[in-house]
Amino acid sequence: MDVFYFVVQQTMFFAIPLLLVAIGGMYAERSGVINIALEGIMVMGAFTGILFISEMGDSMSGQGLLILAILIAGVTGIVFSLLHAFASINMKADQTISGTALNLFAPAFVIFAARMINGVQQIPFEDTFRIPSVPVLGSIPVLGDMFFKNTYLTTYVGILLYIIAAFVISKTKFGLRLRACGEHPGAADSVGVNVGKIRYAGVIISGFLGGVGGLVFVVPTSTNFNATVAGYGFLALAVMIFGQWRSGKILGAAFFFGVMKTMASAYTSVPFLKGLGLPNDVYKMIPYIATLIVLVFTSKSSQAPRAEGIPYDKGAR
Amino acid sequence: MKKKLLTMLLATTMVCGLVACGGNKANNDKKDDTKSAKSDKYELALVTDMGSIDDKSFNQGAWEGVVQYAEEKNIAHQYYKPVEQSDEAYKDAIALAVKGGAKTVVCPGFLFEVPVFEMQSQYPDVNFIIIDGAPHDAGDNAPIDIKDNTLSIFYAEQQAGYLAGYAAVKDGYKNLGFMGGVAVPAVKRYGYGFVKGAEDAANELGLKDGEISVRYTYVNGFAATPEINTQASSWYKDGAELIFAAAGGAGNSVMKAAETAKAQVIGVDVDQAAESTTVISSAMKNLKKSVYDAITSIYDGKFEGGQSITLDASKEGVELPMESSKWANFTQEDYDAIYAKLANNEIDIPTDATTEDAKGLTKACKLTKVKITVE
Repeated sequence: MDVFYFVVQQTMFFAIPLLLVAIGGMYAERSGVINIALEGIMVMGAFTGILFISEMGDSMSGQGLLILAILIAGVTGIVFSLLHAFASINMKADQTISGTALNLFAPAFVIFAARMINGVQQIPFEDTFRIPSVPVLGSIPVLGDMFFKNTYLTTYVGILLYIIAAFVISKTKFGLRLRACGEHPGAADSVGVNVGKIRYAGVIISGFLGGVGGLVFVVPTSTNFNATVAGYGFLALAVMIFGQWRSGKILGAAFFFGVMKTMASAYTSVPFLKGLGLPNDVYKMIPYIATLIVLVFTSKSSQAPRAEGIPYDKGAR
Repeated sequence: MKKKLLTMLLATTMVCGLVACGGNKANNDKKDDTKSAKSDKYELALVTDMGSIDDKSFNQGAWEGVVQYAEEKNIAHQYYKPVEQSDEAYKDAIALAVKGGAKTVVCPGFLFEVPVFEMQSQYPDVNFIIIDGAPHDAGDNAPIDIKDNTLSIFYAEQQAGYLAGYAAVKDGYKNLGFMGGVAVPAVKRYGYGFVKGAEDAANELGLKDGEISVRYTYVNGFAATPEINTQASSWYKDGAELIFAAAGGAGNSVMKAAETAKAQVIGVDVDQAAESTTVISSAMKNLKKSVYDAITSIYDGKFEGGQSITLDASKEGVELPMESSKWANFTQEDYDAIYAKLANNEIDIPTDATTEDAKGLTKACKLTKVKITVE
């Protein structure tokens, strides 16, 4: 049972950033803009968030500091994603190229800025955010052990943001318009929806969630920020595609990846996995093999937004 | 009209931004120049390996040695970063350094073996210092060929690892772990020494057979990731009290796991005590001093090129930083005693030449007290 709790707790550290960033990607793509700049956005968000924690660590600590840092990371993500929005919506540039440019720019800028400010490229931070056990909730049997022990506020913020995001895209007027712009912008335009504005909104939301995702990725897993999020932005894109651009499926996909990755890293603590006695490398392959198998069964009907990646041209209506 | 104005505005901001950046850069260069020398040739150069001059590890240690000498003697110095990890890119970076006026090029890392092999013949007037490697042609079994203008420096990492393992067991730890970055020679030597040190200390303490357990793995990377954090957490959960993380930046993920589990970490290469309160000590190699010494010998005309040297305890090439260590029972006297033994070469420690993988250690060192689990 102990092992089970451990796996659930660790899974959160993988799944929550993936979930947030994938949902961010979903917003951009369903509004019609491909956003492969998620990796870069994560790096930027993590940078300013961690820098803030590092600078303010002397005078503040605990959850208040973390919440401020999350906001700062999100705002940074927004600002950074605006570059992508401008290039792909106003300038009608190739969105893959614009996204790649941002991905290349982000780590370089972060290293440069960190050296200017700190002298070195790593930004250390003191972790005052871990919650050994959430008051009251942590003492619930089973559920308390699973979800309310050895955790970070970021987990709950992530889930809250997910719920809001999932609700907005499927149940509100704005969500409907956003989806329309990704499927058939001409039709949306014909009934008076401003496609450019909606797409800007989509990219801005993806920037916010991407930036927060970057911070959420770094805080539980390292003691400093070293200008990288280890390819998790791209993994989040994979999660989004795996989840067929639908919030419910993305939730499933993020946790599927999370559980598989946890199993692959912590197999020695999981009795039935350890009992298999396979070489280390085979365990590391588990997430990818499992993904392939699932894709074999599910890839028949891809539900990509029809108009994604195509700049909206009013004249072509 | 509005759009045009906006475009203009944006263009102007960008140009201004660029100018500002450029301006900054120029200022920095100027600062560097005045700090070093008036000449526009950079006589001392370092080409970085994968990593940067502030990686808190390998490249940084070497660069500090360069800077120390250069500042003392007022010599212009510069570092170059290859554009990618390939022999070609490394050679280009070295060529660029030479073109920039370098008379001495420091190359930290075994990835420089092939590039330096070619460049040492191409630039016979330039001195090369290669760390953790010996120049040879491409191919697995190519013979080592060190020209007179090249000095190859190795460290006895196995001794640094030995000190760490010895101190840990002497201090009372019984459940140990070793997480190496990638199974390259230097990392292997750290790991093997760690196991041997634990065994010897257990023998001295008269512990029972198999009382010390060591889990041993390579995490296949040097970057902090949730995977490594989870793996370390699972080890700590299974009872590991201390993990020796010889994995560069990935060590930070191990430290994070240790903070959660309230357990300990031993750092690597440089003193990592400042990284986390869980770092109880660090298995260090004295990069700064050795690079400094090598450069000094070049300028003093006593350069001992054409050979490969191994810096061990007898040359103070490895150490544990006892001032910043947090051992409870392992004292300075203990340390001095074991260090003296190492310096006199009284202890035989397995290296990467002894056994290809860690499973061979049990046989190679006749382990009895230590039960090693390779994962």
